[in-house]
Amino acid sequence: MSRAGDSVAVPAAAGDLDESQAQLGWAARERRRPIIQAAARRTLRRRRLAGKLVQALCVLCAAIGLAPLVALVYYTADRGLPGISLSFLTNAPVPEGVPGGGISTAIAGSAEIVGLALVMAIPVGLLAALFLHERRGRLAAGIRFGADMLTGVPSIVIGIFAYALLVRPLHHFSDLAASFALAVLMLPIMIRADEEAMRTVAMDLWEAGVALGARRSRVARSVVLRGALPGLVTGNLLAVSRGVGETAPLLFTVAAPSFAMTLLIYTDGTQPFPSDQQTAWATALVLLMFVLILSGLARVVAWRLTRRAR
Amino acid sequence: MTALSGAASLDSLKETLRHRHDRRGGRAYVLARWAAAGLFVAVLLGLVVSIAIDSSQAIAHSGIGFLWSGTWNPAANQYGAGILVVGTVVTTGVAMVIVVPVGLGMAAFLSELAPRWLAGPLSMAIDLLAAVPSIVVGLWALLVLSPVFANHVEPFFKSIPVLEWLFHGPAYGPSILLASVVLAVMTLPTVVALSRTALSGVALADREAAMALGATHWQVIREVVFPGARSGIAASLTLAVGRALGESIAVAMVIGNNPSVPHSLVAPGATLGSAIVNQFAEASPGIGTSSVIALAAVLLVLTLAVNAGGQAMLRGMGPGRPARVRKTRVAQ
Repeated sequence: MSRAGDSVAVPAAAGDLDESQAQLGWAARERRRPIIQAAARRTLRRRRLAGKLVQALCVLCAAIGLAPLVALVYYTADRGLPGISLSFLTNAPVPEGVPGGGISTAIAGSAEIVGLALVMAIPVGLLAALFLHERRGRLAAGIRFGADMLTGVPSIVIGIFAYALLVRPLHHFSDLAASFALAVLMLPIMIRADEEAMRTVAMDLWEAGVALGARRSRVARSVVLRGALPGLVTGNLLAVSRGVGETAPLLFTVAAPSFAMTLLIYTDGTQPFPSDQQTAWATALVLLMFVLILSGLARVVAWRLTRRAR
Repeated sequence: MTALSGAASLDSLKETLRHRHDRRGGRAYVLARWAAAGLFVAVLLGLVVSIAIDSSQAIAHSGIGFLWSGTWNPAANQYGAGILVVGTVVTTGVAMVIVVPVGLGMAAFLSELAPRWLAGPLSMAIDLLAAVPSIVVGLWALLVLSPVFANHVEPFFKSIPVLEWLFHGPAYGPSILLASVVLAVMTLPTVVALSRTALSGVALADREAAMALGATHWQVIREVVFPGARSGIAASLTLAVGRALGESIAVAMVIGNNPSVPHSLVAPGATLGSAIVNQFAEASPGIGTSSVIALAAVLLVLTLAVNAGGQAMLRGMGPGRPARVRKTRVAQ
C-alpha cells in the first residue's frame, strides 16, 4: 500500500510489518510485491536523478568558489614575485620615481606593532580565560558574551576607539595606539580560544590538584596550562595571523603608511603609478606568505602536540 | 583517632594551608585573574562609552535624523548616515546571495561528495585561505578584477533581459557589485570551513538510519545532514554577515566612493566602513570628525545587533540534532 509521489516504499515501523504479515496470507503478500517494487522503482529513478543533479550543482559550486581563491593567490604570487629581492626586504622605502628602495621599515613596523600588541593581549587573554575556566555564574557568562560581541565588532570601529582614546588626547600618532587597537582586536579571539582549549582538560584533574592542597596558581600552571598547551598555541597563533593582516585599526593610529605592511599595500595599491603598484603586489605577497605560514604553523603545532599528548 | 581530634586536625590542616597560601602569594594569582577580567570589561565599556561620547557632538549638530538623513555633504556641513547604511546593507546582501549557495554547496561537496584524496587537501587549503588578509583581496580586486568587470562582467549582466534593470548605467569597474564580490570572496573560506566542520560532525548513525530507510545520498544530505548541522551553519553565516557589514578597507578600494542613492548595482556607492576610511582624513576638526565617529557608532550598533540576533537564534536552535524525517517521505 505504498502511496505514490516521492515516498519511499517501506513500512513506517517494524511493528506495522509484523502486523500486516500476520494478517495477510502468503498469497496476498505475493500480490502486493510487484506493486511495491514498481512504486519503489518509479520513485527511486526520480530520487536518483534529483540526487545526481544536486551533486553536479555542488561540484559546480565548489568550482565557482575555488576559482577566485586560486586566482587571488596566483595573481599575488605572479605580480609580486618579480618585485621581491633581498634589497627589497632590507632597504627603506624611496619616493616615487627613485629606483631601488624596499619595505624594511614596513616589515619592522608591522613586527613592532604586532609584537607589542601580543605582549599586551596574551597575558590578559590567558588570565581572563583562567577566570572563565574556574568561575561559573553571571559575571563569567557576561564576559563570555562580551567576548563574543567584541569579536564581531568591525576592526575600523576598534581603530576609531584607539584614535579617540590614545591619539587625539596625546596629539600624535603612535605605534602604541596601533598596538593597543590590535590587542583589543585579538583579545576576545584569544580569550575564547584559550577557554576552549582549557575546557579540554578534564575538570577532575583540576579538582584533584586543588584537593592535594596545591595553590590555585600552581594548579593553573601545572595542570590547566600544560594540558591545554596545544590548543593555546593554536588559538593564539590564529589570533596573531588575524592581527597581522589588519589594516583598518592602523589607519588612524600609525604615523605614516611606510611603517606598516598593510597600510603600505593600501596607499601604494591605490596609486596610478606602475612602480607603486609593483611595491604593493610584492608587499602583499610577503604579507600573504607570512599569514599563511603562521596559520599553517598553528595547525601543524596542534596536530603534533595532540599526537604527543596521546 | 576520635572524631573530635580528627575534626581538630582538619582545622589545623586548613589553617596551615591558608597560611602557606598567603605566604607564598597565591593571592597574587587570584588578584591577577580578577584584574584581567576587570580589564577586559573596562575595555568593552570603554569602547562603547568613548564612541558614544565622541559621536554626541554630531548627534547634537544633526539631530537624531543623522541616522536616516540621506545627505553627506561636508562642504555644506550636512551629515547623515542614511545612504551609507543602505549601501552597507545592499553590498552585504548581494555578497550573501553569492556566498550562501556557493559556500554551502562547496561545504556539502567537501564533506559529503568529494573523494577522500581530494577532500582532505582541499579542506586544508580552504582553512588556510580563511586567513588571507582582506587588504590582499582588495588589492587583487582593484588591479585585476576591476578592468575585467568594466569590460566583460558588467556588460554581460546588462545584456541579460530581465536582470538589466538591476545593472543599468555605465560600467566603470569600481561599483557596488564589485564590492559585493570582494566581500563574497573574503567571507567564503570562513563559511566553507565552518559549515564543512558542522556537516562532518553529524553522526554516522543518523546517516545510516536514513539510508536504511531507503533514502538516496542526496536525501540523506537534505533530510539528515543539513538539519543536523543547522546551528553550525547558522553560526558561520552570522559570522560572515558580521564581517561583511564591518569590512572597510577592501570595500573602500573598489566601491568608487560615491555617497549617493544607489540606483544600479554597477554604479559606484559607499558603505559605512568605506566612508569612515575616506572621510576621516579630510574631516574638519570638531563636527566633521565627530560625524565620522558617529558613523562608527552606527556601524557598531548594526554589527552588535546582527551578532546578538545570531546568538539568540543559535540558542533557540539548541545543539544540532537530526531533524525529524518529514512525514511525506515515508509511506503510510
